[in-house]
Amino acid sequence: MTHLDMDKIAAALGAKRRGKVSATSGYFGAMQLLADVEARFRVPAGGGRPTDPRWTERRLVPLARRTLERLEAITAKVREHDGVNVEPMQLAALLLEKTTEQISEGEAEDLIRPRRRSSR
Amino acid sequence: MAKKRRTSRPQRALFSEGRQSVLVVLFVPSVERDGRTAINQNHWVDAALEMFGRVFGGATAYPRAKGIWRDDVRGGALVKDQPVVVHCYTTAVDVQDSRKLAELGNFCRMMGRKARQGEVGLIIGDEYFAVRDFAEE
Repeated sequence: MTHLDMDKIAAALGAKRRGKVSATSGYFGAMQLLADVEARFRVPAGGGRPTDPRWTERRLVPLARRTLERLEAITAKVREHDGVNVEPMQLAALLLEKTTEQISEGEAEDLIRPRRRSSR
Repeated sequence: MAKKRRTSRPQRALFSEGRQSVLVVLFVPSVERDGRTAINQNHWVDAALEMFGRVFGGATAYPRAKGIWRDDVRGGALVKDQPVVVHCYTTAVDVQDSRKLAELGNFCRMMGRKARQGEVGLIIGDEYFAVRDFAEE
């Protein structure tokens, strides 16, 4: 994670530091997911499962069984608790999109570089 | 080796817009500190979006959520509200810029003062910040 001088930020804001939070998991993360689904998913003109109309590209994405099980568990929980139907691979697409938008150039290169070395 | 160097350039270009990696979250309340008096939430959501757009380049307001806040100054009274959560992705440089932070702080104080709040909450990165002193600077 990017190092931030939290004392400097607090002083400039005129705010008090109240402690660490996890802004990308738990209830907060689930709320973001629901908001995204509600705001973006539409039923296609020809009928079928609601989806984001901008998702026009299709690719096969290899993933570990553990990852798929995690996606299935999250979507099952969201369906049960909030009545929102989102498929595991739709969740994967949302997460991929968010990460791609948020990841920095340096972080992306860090992810790619070790993999290249180990593949030799 | 030369081939490797050439392939790294398009990757840099690909991620050149991905530097906005610090999340700033602002909670816009729906009621005053008393927990009963409604505030003009739409006005404050619009004002927050305009401020984030101007200062940090953009933001997203999510649909209303359900929230609760313990007001320790009023004997631990629980204030229930329906906050709107505003997300703004920015850079480490911008979020530590004194002038930008001053604008953000001024907005929080103004909202706290005019909407009669006990606290205005912000999350920056992985830390929660509370603005409680709403005096004009």
